[in-house]
Amino acid sequence: MRLSFDEQTEAFRAEFSAWLDENAPDEATALSERSRSTAHLPAWARDWQRKLFDAGWLVPGNPPGFGGRSASLIEVFVHQEELGRRKIYPSYNPQGLSIIGPSLLVFGTDEQKQRWAVPLLRGDLTAALGMSEPDAGSDLAGLRTRAVLDGDRFVVDGQKVWTSGAHDADFILAFVRTDPDAPKHKGLSCLVIPTDSPGLTRRPFGSIVGPDDLDFNEVFFDGVEVPADNMIGGLNEGWKVANGSLGHERAMLWLGFAERFDDLIAHGGAELVARGMDDDALVLDWFGNVVVDAHALRLLGYRTLAKARRGVEATEQSILKLFGSEGNQAAALHMLDALGPDGLDPDRASAPLNPLHSEWLTASWWDRYLRSFAGTIAGGTSQIQRNIIAERVLGLPR
Amino acid sequence: MDFELDEEQLELQRVVRDIAERECPPALVRAVVAGDDDGSALWKTFVELDWPTLTVPVGDGGMGMTAVELVIVLEELGRVADPTPFLATTSQYVPLVRESASAGDSDQCRGLLAAVCAGGTGAAAFAADSLRARRSDGDGDGWVLDGTASHVLDGDRADSLALVASTGDAVGVFVVPGSAVAASRQTAFDGSLHLAELRCDGVRVPGDRAFVDVGPDGRTIAAAVEEARDEATAGLAAVMVGACQRVLELVLDHVRERRQFGVPIGSFQAVKHMAVDMYVAIERARALCHFAGLASAEGDSRRILAASMAKAAAGDCQRLVAQHGIQLFGGLGFTWENDLQIYVRRAKAGEPLLGTSASHRARAARTVLAGPPAPQRPAEAN
Repeated sequence: MRLSFDEQTEAFRAEFSAWLDENAPDEATALSERSRSTAHLPAWARDWQRKLFDAGWLVPGNPPGFGGRSASLIEVFVHQEELGRRKIYPSYNPQGLSIIGPSLLVFGTDEQKQRWAVPLLRGDLTAALGMSEPDAGSDLAGLRTRAVLDGDRFVVDGQKVWTSGAHDADFILAFVRTDPDAPKHKGLSCLVIPTDSPGLTRRPFGSIVGPDDLDFNEVFFDGVEVPADNMIGGLNEGWKVANGSLGHERAMLWLGFAERFDDLIAHGGAELVARGMDDDALVLDWFGNVVVDAHALRLLGYRTLAKARRGVEATEQSILKLFGSEGNQAAALHMLDALGPDGLDPDRASAPLNPLHSEWLTASWWDRYLRSFAGTIAGGTSQIQRNIIAERVLGLPR
Repeated sequence: MDFELDEEQLELQRVVRDIAERECPPALVRAVVAGDDDGSALWKTFVELDWPTLTVPVGDGGMGMTAVELVIVLEELGRVADPTPFLATTSQYVPLVRESASAGDSDQCRGLLAAVCAGGTGAAAFAADSLRARRSDGDGDGWVLDGTASHVLDGDRADSLALVASTGDAVGVFVVPGSAVAASRQTAFDGSLHLAELRCDGVRVPGDRAFVDVGPDGRTIAAAVEEARDEATAGLAAVMVGACQRVLELVLDHVRERRQFGVPIGSFQAVKHMAVDMYVAIERARALCHFAGLASAEGDSRRILAASMAKAAAGDCQRLVAQHGIQLFGGLGFTWENDLQIYVRRAKAGEPLLGTSASHRARAARTVLAGPPAPQRPAEAN
């Protein structure tokens, strides 16, 4: 047990840090065009992602040729930590980078990797994840979008929803039912569906943040033909791919919550000091609790990392998303309340702009509070997380 | 950052858990509460294992381990509601003596810690506002103590007492034999916990047992006291976490076994979600206890923040774990016979001692709002 990383890890961080100093886009370039969704890459962002890919700094854990340098788990972590600390997005298609890309690399054939994963990672293509449906949210395995194999192609009919970035994406990694008679987990397959396929319609809709906050989509499939070669993983083995996909998402997901905590503490704390509220007993109570949550999350995250490095199962992993998302939400709510009537202004920025990062970091405290529900709902609601932890970690009966 | 116990630490945890479970079953704690046992046989076992000397430097006859190992051991002893003066001796007396006297190569300190190595017990009073020290008129560099300190852990039964007292414009630490002070035990809802009111009425302290103003390493005694108090705070937090862990284990066994409506009650989501919240609260507090131990062991500048976070989180943890723990046992949790009450009492008794969770939340908040911590001081050689 020690408070610092070893010298080799710090040397890795220093190397990446020096590379970022040389190569990160300047702020004026980044401000020239803003990304409008999680699958829209402005030209400068595409160039930036490609530069990371070519230098092996995009996904350092990947082998050379796939945007990486076969870095170790700890090195992958400090790479993410360094990007987070500097508030730099490696990709403005985050689900492509952290969920879809890894899924294609794990479950795809060599040809599929070259055809879909490499262009995705290089920023030549962007992608959306087609999982949820109107009647399949937490109960994902109950999804009903049908794909019928007809010779060398599937014919797809049905509907997805919450498909982030679909209206700007080049393809959707979609989970579809290929065997309606099998038990629900055993009849799913995973397809790459180009969004320009005839019969595919995308309809973006506003989030609770506002009618212009367009990232979510409804996606309708009406007799969409998809080449059989676009199937990722085996026929009816889609559940395995789905679990693997979310596994990639969950491994270091906590770091995003930890960064949000740091940001809340730094900018929220400065706001409280500026308002002379830093000696108020009620404020010190909730702010102290945020400080405790922020540190505990990071420590538990570090522990899962240390265990993963040793190949030991880390049961703490399961609580990080639950704990991080709920703690973030409580902190954002406290901060909104602390502002009094000033908190009513939805355009009042909560922090200075970070041009290389997402807008939510500078959003108003009201927006931050609203967006905190993405953490407690998306990727498995807090209630579902509690069920899973109770059963898998605490050993309670189903 | 490598935030996982290493092999030796895990082994220590296993060994302590085995021995503590065997030597300190609920029946022993009940006997102590009932006055049929004084826990001295258990203390003797700990002494034979050298555990009280865990953080005493090797050169002074101890095991020379760090605050991390101390946190590990204290959590395990909290899990069995240890009725001995172990917590007071190892996390209060030893750090206070060590920090105030041993910053240099003090023979005084060695002598004081030698008593612990020989099986002696110690207690500490940290509240400087209640005890006053003045120079003695007659015997040169001696001091005289007056005043009262209340809720001193094991103050009624420790062989040695380390007392923080005000010297007027500063604080000092004064080490006296337990027999020199009039102590009366104060009742507490945790009947196996010894808390005492100490009354000093002209207690004389020779100069070589008085640590005032500035320590040999240039730190003020006030700073040394604060550091020792932080270590004590983290130690108490660890005990609370251990007791909470035991409550969770009892609850999980119960809800897996107890059947209503034809199914185990642990299959109900309302029950599951409460159990998960207990688990999360414990993991949160445990991580911060380990961090406090580690920050202390490495001399990290965040150790003040870390100690307060540990106590704040342990306080949150005991509140939620007791609340849900008793509730999930239903009527069966409302009995004296159920061992649950033993560990609920131990967990909750820690809350008001060495600062409430609310006071530590405020301290943590103030520390962060005041800006980033000062650069680290070099780690002390052990």
